[in-house]
Amino acid sequence: MAMALEDGRSRILIIDDEQVVLESCIEILLDQPYDVATASSGARGLEFMEEFRPDLVFVDLKMPGLSGLEVLEAINRDDPTVVTVVITGYATVDSAIEAMKLGAYDFIPKPFTPDQFRVITARSLEKRKLVLETIALRREKEMLRENFAAIVSHELKSPLSAVQQNLFVLAHQLSPVTTEDQRVQLERMKSRIGDLLDLVDRWLRSVSVDLDGIRERFETLPLSVPITKAVESVQPQAVRKDVEIVVQERAGSVYGHEGVLTEALTNIIGNAVKYSYEGGTVTITTKQLDDRVRVDVTDTGVGISEDDRVHIFDDFYRGDVGMSRQSGAGLGLAISRRIIEAHNGSVSVESELGRGTTFTILLPTEAPEPPVSRLPERSEI
Amino acid sequence: MNPTKRLLIVDDDPDFAGAISEILESAGYETDITHNPKEGWAALKTNKYDLLLLDIMMGRGAEGVMMARKIRKDESLREMPVLIITGLREQIAFLFPGQAIHPGFVPVDELVEKPVEPELLLDRVGALIEASEARSPGGDE
Repeated sequence: MAMALEDGRSRILIIDDEQVVLESCIEILLDQPYDVATASSGARGLEFMEEFRPDLVFVDLKMPGLSGLEVLEAINRDDPTVVTVVITGYATVDSAIEAMKLGAYDFIPKPFTPDQFRVITARSLEKRKLVLETIALRREKEMLRENFAAIVSHELKSPLSAVQQNLFVLAHQLSPVTTEDQRVQLERMKSRIGDLLDLVDRWLRSVSVDLDGIRERFETLPLSVPITKAVESVQPQAVRKDVEIVVQERAGSVYGHEGVLTEALTNIIGNAVKYSYEGGTVTITTKQLDDRVRVDVTDTGVGISEDDRVHIFDDFYRGDVGMSRQSGAGLGLAISRRIIEAHNGSVSVESELGRGTTFTILLPTEAPEPPVSRLPERSEI
Repeated sequence: MNPTKRLLIVDDDPDFAGAISEILESAGYETDITHNPKEGWAALKTNKYDLLLLDIMMGRGAEGVMMARKIRKDESLREMPVLIITGLREQIAFLFPGQAIHPGFVPVDELVEKPVEPELLLDRVGALIEASEARSPGGDE
């Protein structure tokens, strides 16, 4: 991609079969800080593109051989950031509009005055500058996203860990002399910082988990393994809320990665517990279908409104249910969905407000026939 | 615990290393701190340590892993117990998925997560040193 702006001089290519037009254009721009090149046919102009790397190309629409529109199309295909302006002999608005549809930035009717030509040149180069700036910004944003995990890890996790570690030491060393109240205060601090660290971890995982890489380690495993582990890790939370987790069936096998599947199930089961009423029940049922296994996670909780249902698998989305404020970063289900989709599975939800919710997960039982369809790119995050 | 045990901490976060050292010193260990693998390696080559506490994510990446591998290859250090301290358990699990807790950087190591509760830290340190002494009765080489 041409970055001519970096050295200060913009490059302009003029493609026209009329020698007199080319000469007068050069003449007009002579005292300007531009490098100007010309080509007397579309084919030559395109040939010259790669070598000259222009910022701005003027193209005559009516030329023998390759037409102006064809040249435009080719330029746009090759590098859409190059700004193009068409020169139209008989100022037909139609052909100008056609050209703009093909990506031309503007048009200039022949004959034109030197001033008209200078103005349109300046304006088009300004446009080119904006295009390049936008690209640079986008690239920067992209890099930030790619390095997000590292940045978050370094800038947030390290200081939090250090604070927490020192708090541990403090609590430890003061333990012989602290009063019950002080002990509670220290516990509060530790638990809140612990929550923060967990949040950063979740965050990190959602942006950095290389699901493509994990795929290489897929194997056939009994579904009961990740389910049991997930239930185990949600159990304390369930006990606190007096929610009973019932696993009705543990049949079936799944082709996947135990660790991340456990994570996906933990999030979904944890979510069911979180939105259950006290004393409620969360039921997990698995069913072996032909080449898939189906897991239903059903709660008898507050339910999810139709409006919310559309968004629950989005990053950072937290349902605004009329219930007490729920903690969490709203990332769990988004991560779960990503994991399940990386397994070529699917997750869906059915819910009735005030009655409860059922999450249904479908996962393949066997390794797919090669080749495997592409995973969703990380840019979907 | 007979003669005072000497431990080396390699961690690029001085506040974290300081806290770890505090816990260990209050339990009667002697500790040295270095903040990068290079200084750490120099310390290991100069002094004799009963145990190394090693951070994984240092510098531009997992420099701790590199250091652990270097230790594994070193005749005189290979048997020294190493306690790996990392804030990135999940990352480790994803870096080396499918392996129980962590990949075993050196023949005699263990891993705790950062931040670590003092009791757990002391427990692990004590157990690793004990196991190491059991392997080579008399302690010293």
